[in-house]
Amino acid sequence: MDPNEVEFLGEKQLVTIIPSFTFNQIHLISGSIGPFRAGLPTQVPIWLAVNLKQQQKCRIVGQEWMDAKLLIDVKDEEKTSKFFTKMPSDHYMDETLMLLGVAPEDIPQAEEIRTIVKDLWDIRMSKLRTSVDAFMKSDSAFAKLDHLTPMEINCIRPSLPHALDQRDRIQTCGSRPRDSQDTQRS
Amino acid sequence: MFGEKALELIKELERSAEGIPPFNDDGIRQVLEEMRILCQANFDDIENPTTDPPNYSSVRVRHMAISRNKRCILAYLYNRLQKIRQMRWEFGSILPPEIKSLLSEPEVQWFTSYSKALATYMRSIGDNYGLNLATDVTPPKSLYIEVRCLVDYGKLDLEDGEVIFLKKNSQYLLPRAECEGLVRQGVLQHVTS
Amino acid sequence: MDDSVADVSEHLDSSDNEEFTPGKVLQDIENAWLNEKFAPEILPHQSELVDCMLEQISHMEENMKKLKKGDIRLAIHKMEIDRIRFVIKSYLRTRLEKIEQYTIHILSEDDKKSPEESYLTPGERKFAKEYLANIETLFRTVALQHMPANFQAFEVDKLTVKPNLNSHVFLRVNKPVQGIIVPGTTNDEIDLTAGAQRLIQYQPIASLVKEGAVQLI
Repeated sequence: MDPNEVEFLGEKQLVTIIPSFTFNQIHLISGSIGPFRAGLPTQVPIWLAVNLKQQQKCRIVGQEWMDAKLLIDVKDEEKTSKFFTKMPSDHYMDETLMLLGVAPEDIPQAEEIRTIVKDLWDIRMSKLRTSVDAFMKSDSAFAKLDHLTPMEINCIRPSLPHALDQRDRIQTCGSRPRDSQDTQRS
Repeated sequence: MFGEKALELIKELERSAEGIPPFNDDGIRQVLEEMRILCQANFDDIENPTTDPPNYSSVRVRHMAISRNKRCILAYLYNRLQKIRQMRWEFGSILPPEIKSLLSEPEVQWFTSYSKALATYMRSIGDNYGLNLATDVTPPKSLYIEVRCLVDYGKLDLEDGEVIFLKKNSQYLLPRAECEGLVRQGVLQHVTS
Repeated sequence: MDDSVADVSEHLDSSDNEEFTPGKVLQDIENAWLNEKFAPEILPHQSELVDCMLEQISHMEENMKKLKKGDIRLAIHKMEIDRIRFVIKSYLRTRLEKIEQYTIHILSEDDKKSPEESYLTPGERKFAKEYLANIETLFRTVALQHMPANFQAFEVDKLTVKPNLNSHVFLRVNKPVQGIIVPGTTNDEIDLTAGAQRLIQYQPIASLVKEGAVQLI
């Protein structure tokens, strides 16, 4: 999957904005948004928030979890845990990139948040590499991927499933002649 | 060696992974000729064997060589079709002349038929609502860019119905898709801060 | 002006059936898109969803014509429609790619099914047949007819390409399922709990994808 497509899915997440205009409820196919009152917070999908922001029609409040203190705790937990911990959002990485990209001045401590999220991502990716390695060496029929986010899963696709497919192919190729030898011997 | 020319066809495609090499009429003809000769040799060996019993081993080897040649030719044609198919998605239903000249006549016909089948299918989508699947290949991104107008251009109709007047030396925030053309024409200049 | 823009979601909400809100249909299409993207085989078509969503789009576009130039809603609705169109197109393209890649296999599997059970829409089926016929024509014209008499056949069995159903996929569990057995492994049965994410061979969970018990991710 193209990373753009993962981001596309992430853009469906809601985010709080403070509009600079006033307008009634708008009925989208995916659901209704608004009403918009200038200066009063309301929730809209990220794709819309980014667009309104670009047109300077709103200020982006950001996500509740976009808080340096909270994220440091998340990061520490991730560091100490053997497993993948649950992220505050399934699209924490792409949401951070999109929202901080378009509205760094709106979100307090934007730079700190960006750095912590990047660290968090690095910790998880290195954990992911270790577990992929361990999994490939095991003979397990399946892998648990609980709490991995779509962007992270996308990073091990197609290499991991592909490697497993190839391993299976080699194993079935190897087993066939052996079977026939056995038959010949008997 | 039997099958060498056939393999050469495959290698030729392999070498031009990006584009499509000119249709190798001569190569195909030579492989077909080899198949004919091998087939004739087998026929002779069976009809008028020089040994008793007839030498079935050589018959079998020739038979396999013919099969391999067939496989290579079809693989050559099929893989070319994959490239030609891709062109329908990239260029639309009219082939650029420089590409058309690389194809054989039956391939050009195949392109036309493929295009037609695809168009029929796309028209039928959504109870004949019709949908052009060759467009919107990446997720939509609404990107606004800051541009400076370099000339007194005048009226510009935006897709959302808004109308703006572009004046020399003024700056505007516009959807990228809608001002790309004007940037290329030198009417607008992308301002990078 | 606001109310004159007949609103699609309210119109459908009034059926009192949560299942059929446009938002739900859209979510179902997105799920179908991801399943189709990641499943090695072609999945049962979802033309009811596609038709329904395209109708919603037409309806919305009609309503947009009633809006004045510069109305903020024009741009917003257009953005949303562009997003939905992208999903539908990408979904249908993915299916078409599989149809082209596995034409003979898909058609022969489909022949075993009744028209109601067919995985292909009538349009896709027609396309598949024409695609195959066009390839056969080209093979015959350029090569087969010039080959020795007993080598001229268009050997369907040798030309069949099948998807690898044992390939590995990522999934998320919607409804708990117990006792999945991965063929060729010594492991015990696998239980899937709701919300769990797994990497596993496609074959043993293929029917779960089609039932909606798991979602490919």
